Amino acid sequence: MLARATTHALVGLEARSIEVEAHLQRGVPAFAIVGLPDKGVQEAKERVRSGIASAELEWPMRRITVNLAPADLRKEGSGFDLPIALAILAASQQIPLDRLDEHAALGELALDGRIRPVPGAIVAAEAARAAGLARLLCAAESAPEAALAGVEPIPVRHLAEAGAYLRGRHEPEPVAEPSPYAGPPLPDLRDVRGQERARRALEIAAAGRHNLLLGGPPGTGKTMLARRLPGILPPLTREEALEVTRIHSVAGALPAGQPLVEHPPFRAPHHTASTPAIVGGGPGPRPGEATLAHRGVLLLDELGEFPRPSLEALRQPLEDGSVAIARIGGRLVFPARFLLVGTMNLCPCGARGDPAVECSCSAARIAAYREKLSRALLDRFDLVVTVPRARSREVAGAAGEPSSAVAERVMAADVRLRERPPPIGEAAAAMIARAIDSLGLSARGHARISRVSVTIAALAGSGQVAPEHMAEALSYRSPSELAAAA
Amino acid sequence: MTYGVLRRPDAAFPPLLAQLHDPPRRLHARGDPVGVLEQPAVAVVGARSCSAYGAQVARTLSRDLAAAGLVVVSGLARGVDAEAHRGALDAGGTTVAVLGCGIDRDYPARHAELARRIVAGGGLVVSEYEPGIEPAPWRFPARNRVIAGLALATVVVEARERSGALITADFALELGREVFAVPGEITSALSAGTNRLIRQGAAPLLGAEDVLAALGLEEAPAPRAEVTDAAAGVLAVLADGPRGQDELVRATGQATSAVAAALVELELAGLAAEADGVHRATRLPERAA
Repeated sequence: MLARATTHALVGLEARSIEVEAHLQRGVPAFAIVGLPDKGVQEAKERVRSGIASAELEWPMRRITVNLAPADLRKEGSGFDLPIALAILAASQQIPLDRLDEHAALGELALDGRIRPVPGAIVAAEAARAAGLARLLCAAESAPEAALAGVEPIPVRHLAEAGAYLRGRHEPEPVAEPSPYAGPPLPDLRDVRGQERARRALEIAAAGRHNLLLGGPPGTGKTMLARRLPGILPPLTREEALEVTRIHSVAGALPAGQPLVEHPPFRAPHHTASTPAIVGGGPGPRPGEATLAHRGVLLLDELGEFPRPSLEALRQPLEDGSVAIARIGGRLVFPARFLLVGTMNLCPCGARGDPAVECSCSAARIAAYREKLSRALLDRFDLVVTVPRARSREVAGAAGEPSSAVAERVMAADVRLRERPPPIGEAAAAMIARAIDSLGLSARGHARISRVSVTIAALAGSGQVAPEHMAEALSYRSPSELAAAA
Repeated sequence: MTYGVLRRPDAAFPPLLAQLHDPPRRLHARGDPVGVLEQPAVAVVGARSCSAYGAQVARTLSRDLAAAGLVVVSGLARGVDAEAHRGALDAGGTTVAVLGCGIDRDYPARHAELARRIVAGGGLVVSEYEPGIEPAPWRFPARNRVIAGLALATVVVEARERSGALITADFALELGREVFAVPGEITSALSAGTNRLIRQGAAPLLGAEDVLAALGLEEAPAPRAEVTDAAAGVLAVLADGPRGQDELVRATGQATSAVAAALVELELAGLAAEADGVHRATRLPERAA
């Protein structure tokens, strides 16, 4: 007897349709899975056997062969458990074949027959819809996510429940509309006292999507400030939210009970993270932090501590907004358009810029520390701000402006920048021409400062870039001691 | 690239240098030495690991001295020396770097490009040592005597209690040349040497005009920069001492954006400078007003 079930395998951020064929023959009872399964899929044998037994269904005492087609695509992960089990049940006539044909299936089996969620449900659901399958059998936890893709999810908690449903003896529970975001509130700028300059830089960074480098001694609130950036970014549009959700689903990074990512994501990998963890990679290439931060913020705390290859690998996404991973088997492209925020101390010991402590670093150590950031990477930071140590009376000062007020200005500027970005006025152009000579700006620096000046003018609601906008933009240029080894 | 060698009995050998009690027999030069060493020169020297204050003073002072037509002499070392050369180059002036090794050595290596700019700008890299001689610590005091010998006056910008720059000052005093010291905070170890020099009778240096007056030269009329009211307000606060930008926002009551713009305006006008997030005025307030 032969039966088929349909499921989907993840290839990068996309899903490919996989046919799961189960063939039962007379002979010595055996169970084989073919079609390039990896170790995880091979182990499905044990889960499927136990799951079927636990569901009080019958394990056919036959020679069972399961083929995963197309056979040349490597299959990874535990999502094949459910379709394999269903194909075997259909082949042994425990569930009707024609009913199974109308469904795609995705899920991992527990030994007791429960069905567990797997990453990438939304992507699999989209592929199912594209293949003309209207229903997806999946774990109850995956159902709200699958619903976003426009298929009808059939949430099943147990293999027995899936069998009963396919025999028409069980009505699936309706899938609840995903409730709006109910997680912890985003960190608010209200908590930041003083730090006028850094706050202003955050606002400009959010409005114009400029990469921001915060320098200063430890304990001055650089990280605290950076964490408040997602709260003032314009919210994601529906398309953007789906795109981000897809990425986070594939990476298994969706928070429980929140199928749709509504806020710009915030990722802060530690500096010990490997290069593939940051830009993506691995044997079955998986998105890295840069892709998980797509349409959001990537914070590299202590930029100088990151290994140089990791930083260099970020140059491509910073340039193109995507990461390309080349393998012998093909090339994958992950989107990675993020706002990069870096923080760094001004010297390895961290005391530089702090009036209370004397820096003990030799000039050579400071130069080595700063040289780690290549010119090319440094060139990607439109805004560079040094955050000096705050005085005690500032820390005790009044609470700052809340994020909601800043977000409003950012939104207004964002609209202006998209509709009609203010042109650079004559006086402002003259000013930057003068600055090129006296401050030694490069052509790239010129372009960067012009971009920032346009954002500043848009924030001010000005019809064109005036000299004061250009002057302020110039104040965020990378300082000369970073630009060239002293 | 031009190279030149000046020999002692020759007329081209700088007469000021010949006044040393053990003048070098030869002076090797990268660049064309003809005429350069006859111009009035001032040495600007100081600590390698200088503070932001020291670096700023060295640069501004050398710029003003070079703008007034003086040759700035220093030792191409890190810190004050390099800033002195850069300041002179900023003003399009001539500057001379005296090495403690052969002139074909790029020492320190990181200043190879600076040395190239010095020569390209009409200045010189000179040494009493034959090409090929490696740098060695015991050659630096001798190098300092050449720096002092070439200059009519020596300015020590920042120096610790035991500093090579003080050796240069000693040679200058032996030659009966003018020695200036830039006053610093009495609590700063980096200013201990210069403050002691002042106590011992060196003239405290408050600006380039002090050097020009001592040498009997007219001060080049300082271009009086017109600044906006916002910038003037920021400058008035900076006159009380270096400030971070957040402090300036609170002190002036102006918007963050306006203060940022004002500081850039002041920097373009050469009236203020920034290091590690701290802004400072580069001139005395009454001259800048």
